[in-house]
Amino acid sequence: MSKIWTRMGDGSAVEMTPDELRADIIAASEDAADKGRVPPLEDNEVEKLIEIFSAPWRVIGVEPGHEVPLTKDETACTLVSSQLSSGAHLPISREAAVEIFERVFCFDTMELGWIDYSFKPAKAMVSLDQVSIERLLATTVFPVLYGAMPNMGLYYTPDGPFTNPADLLGMMKIDEARQEEMKAAELCMEDMIYMCKRFDEIGADGIDFDTTASAGDADFWATLKTVEELKKTTDLGIEVGMSGEFILGMHGEIEYNGKKLAGMFPHQQLKVVEEAGADIFGPVVNTKTNKSAAWNVARAVTFVKEVCKQATIPIHANVGMGVGGTPMFETPPVDALSRASVAMVEIAKVDGL
Amino acid sequence: MGDPFGMSLTHAIASGMGGIRTAGDLVARMQLNYRMRLPEAKKYVAEKLHVSTFDLSDSTVMRNLREELDIGCVEAIPGLAKGLAAKARIADLLDIKIAAVEKLKGKLPV
Amino acid sequence: MAHEDLIKEAQESVLSQDKAKAIDVANRALAAGMSPQEIMNEGFIVGIRQLGDKFDEGEVFLPELMLSAEAMEAAMEICNAALPEGESQSRGTVVIGTVEGDVHDIGKAIVVSYMRASGFEVHDLGRDCPTDKFVDTAKEVNANVVGASALLTATLRKQREIVEALKEAGIRDQVKFVVGGAVCTQGWADEIGADAYAKDAGDGIRKIEALLGL
Repeated sequence: MSKIWTRMGDGSAVEMTPDELRADIIAASEDAADKGRVPPLEDNEVEKLIEIFSAPWRVIGVEPGHEVPLTKDETACTLVSSQLSSGAHLPISREAAVEIFERVFCFDTMELGWIDYSFKPAKAMVSLDQVSIERLLATTVFPVLYGAMPNMGLYYTPDGPFTNPADLLGMMKIDEARQEEMKAAELCMEDMIYMCKRFDEIGADGIDFDTTASAGDADFWATLKTVEELKKTTDLGIEVGMSGEFILGMHGEIEYNGKKLAGMFPHQQLKVVEEAGADIFGPVVNTKTNKSAAWNVARAVTFVKEVCKQATIPIHANVGMGVGGTPMFETPPVDALSRASVAMVEIAKVDGL
Repeated sequence: MGDPFGMSLTHAIASGMGGIRTAGDLVARMQLNYRMRLPEAKKYVAEKLHVSTFDLSDSTVMRNLREELDIGCVEAIPGLAKGLAAKARIADLLDIKIAAVEKLKGKLPV
Repeated sequence: MAHEDLIKEAQESVLSQDKAKAIDVANRALAAGMSPQEIMNEGFIVGIRQLGDKFDEGEVFLPELMLSAEAMEAAMEICNAALPEGESQSRGTVVIGTVEGDVHDIGKAIVVSYMRASGFEVHDLGRDCPTDKFVDTAKEVNANVVGASALLTATLRKQREIVEALKEAGIRDQVKFVVGGAVCTQGWADEIGADAYAKDAGDGIRKIEALLGL
């Protein structure tokens, strides 16, 4: 039986028989269905995935006419930063990097952000980022967003003023831990609202909240409340991109509009993001490095398909390193990446990536 | 994140609309600022441009059309609208508000 | 009361994060003639494993895990006191930290909670921890396991540094070295000679138990 050359979730090459490929795809879909309580992939979708992964070509693409717009997180760090962002450290300005994305990579949108890509450290630099965005708004044609991570963990000691709840939990101080989380969430929210309004002032097209909920349910809550406020008081388009497929319950009891945030899977995260008023939602499904690329893509597509089915707003699935079925490797193989890309568009029916 | 060739460029080639090379930026605006899902966003833009939704991603069709409509091209052609001028024309063509264009209007002498 | 009922109660006391109940059950089990090992292994430890499954499924969260750990520790104290001198049932001593240059610690906090809840003695070195500290603490507490977490590709190489430092200190063969973190992979663990790669807290516990023959 001839083998199919493919990849693992860590990017390493592997050969699989057609039966192994099929079994992996079905098992992955069932895993997602079981975990997230969503429908598994249908037979024709499984066949489509098999076709995608059996294709002998290095790079594959969507069918003509099925193309989708792209948004991007991590700003232009990919060109100007170091290994910190798997970047190429080109000796160019951030503005030039964004323009390269417009006219060389032909992205549909792009964002500018601070190199230390979180709201807290970027706050001190807001006026610099404002004029950079103004310059880009004047010179580019495509939508320009401002991007940053809520990264609420920076509000805890030693980086911030509030006691680290992980330390308090370790001392069994559950109530104190929860109180510190809420205080951090309030301050994080204040900072994010302050900064986003500065970009509304100068006419930015939108804001991208990247890796939302990285510090758990309180981080998610702070972002949702920020989005709520911004949609009432600004003209900004808002994209909320997640950090994981599952909201970590550091607090465990925070609710948004009566819904407990801890433990939410992507299709549940979508609902509260919609309620907050966001314009684009970017679900994340984490790659398992010891499983095949096909397994990872099948699993990711199963989750995201349900998100797309339930969504009333555009869905731009996260397909960066280690998410959305892409391998967890700094220089991901283009064969695996293009397959994840196509699967998201053709099977999950995303509105963008 | 990371590795411009392996990540950004691969997605752009495999699945991306093509930005200002085609009509990707226009469709993206309808998603970001008007919350349109993809089919609705493509339909809206296609109708405004008097092309099919299929043509929106066709660089042959869109290159000529963008020059004709003067809404910004990927090549740097002297005399054609760029930056804010292109955005102003896009806002008018699509009958939408673009924040930077509104800010500019506010700055122009009466 | 039948031993089976006590075992079930022990499991439930941990699942419901009820410290008082765990203490009560431990005392009643010993009074009923059960061995400390039996009530621990079949009662409390099984309960913690079930709680771990619920944590993985998103039915319980970190605060509940901590409260269960507290219940578990209280029960273990009673059971260990009932064992003959020198036979106390710590399941192993673990030294764990986030590597130098890396300040991410939420994942590590979950692992620490889970390990404590599972009956391990855990020395948490915190975040941004210098390589020397891993080695010095491992020697000081006679660790069975050293765990290193890294969330950034830029700091991943510190895990290799720790392996080399353990060899230089002459204790590499005495400890099991486990690596984890979002950017860590099995391939990387194999490359640097780690004993195991933990993809999440539950996986880490299972692998540590297997490595220690528990």
